[in-house]
Amino acid sequence: MFREQVIACHHCDLLMTPPQIKAGECALCPRCDHKITRLHFNAMNNLLSFAVTGLILLFLTTQFNLMTFNLAGNISEIDLWHSAINLYFDDFKALAILVLFFIFLLPAFILLLIVFFILSLKTGIGCGAQTSLLRLIFLCMPWAMVEVFLVGIVVSLVKLVTIAQMDLGWSFWAYVVFCFCYAKVLSLVDRYQFWHWIDEVHK
Amino acid sequence: MTHYCRNSAARKGLANCHSCSLVSPVSAIKCPRCQTELHLRKPMNLQLTMAYLVTALLLYIPANLWPMMVTEKLGQIEYNTILGGIVLLWQEGSQLIAVIVFIASVLVPIIKFIILFMLCFSVYFSHALCPSKRLKLYRLTELIGRWSMVDIFVVAILVALIQLDHLLNVQPGSGTIAFAAVVILTIMSAKSFDPRVLWDDYDAKTNSIA
Repeated sequence: MFREQVIACHHCDLLMTPPQIKAGECALCPRCDHKITRLHFNAMNNLLSFAVTGLILLFLTTQFNLMTFNLAGNISEIDLWHSAINLYFDDFKALAILVLFFIFLLPAFILLLIVFFILSLKTGIGCGAQTSLLRLIFLCMPWAMVEVFLVGIVVSLVKLVTIAQMDLGWSFWAYVVFCFCYAKVLSLVDRYQFWHWIDEVHK
Repeated sequence: MTHYCRNSAARKGLANCHSCSLVSPVSAIKCPRCQTELHLRKPMNLQLTMAYLVTALLLYIPANLWPMMVTEKLGQIEYNTILGGIVLLWQEGSQLIAVIVFIASVLVPIIKFIILFMLCFSVYFSHALCPSKRLKLYRLTELIGRWSMVDIFVVAILVALIQLDHLLNVQPGSGTIAFAAVVILTIMSAKSFDPRVLWDDYDAKTNSIA
């Protein structure tokens, strides 16, 4: 799969000749064990389908409520979108922007970019933008905190069950499945392969 | 002058593109495939890492002293700092959650501070640990960095959920912003560190000792 003459490890700068790997195999740096690349079966189609599924699920999380809080008849509900907007207008602007950005906007943006990237590879439309798309994807990726938010939900749930009756809404389950899809997408994203796909299109 | 490690790309004047991983001569200035600027090492990586880290360390003080959460229960106002909240959780009987929150918002930032400071200093001074062990520490900081954000998300959920006027309501304290800044800055600090500098000079120093 490698077309380069030499490659270098990003973690220890070891210069090496690229190994020959088959689908399903993973290339590690011999000196520092840094994962260089992993060749997946049918990566492009899997990536596209998981990214689209993730986007649909993320849309669904905005449609239902995340959890219900019932303290002796005093009921309050939250859903992702409205609670963030309420936080924003209740003068907790920084908190609202941070949370919405990390758990919703950024993951959605990354998935959208990945969908655009793969569609542009498949159709050949917008070849010029592919490089910038990829750079943007890798710039955003470390900042999405989907799984951290899931733990946050569980922690706040346990905090509250002692004082009130808590119910989980459909949004929560949608977010759980979204988290799986997102993790799958992350595992399929591979710098070397992405750039090879671009090389093949431009050839 | 830095003495690049044996078998390293930098020693041959080759730069690994930060964005597309194409190895090309550093004299080309821009990567022929993706037009990113080429550098042998991330420019100013130690200075940037230290700058972000010191800023984060300074912000860590108000993050712990200022309240994370302001709870109003039947007219009584209660201020909870990070540690106070953990103690409260422990006393209320949810020890497991107390431990999780303790790990995420106290232990993880401290471990990150220690490791990143140590890595930055190890480049200049001691070579006690071999580079591959220090690299493992660096990977640990990259892996655990984001988990400190749990506390911020918990506060956001509680604030959005519990608004029953004077009966019971929760507001975020000023500590949340400071703590979020600490987490973001430490992630940026870890991002700007270039683990390849751990290997530079290592050959030269070990050879001179031996």
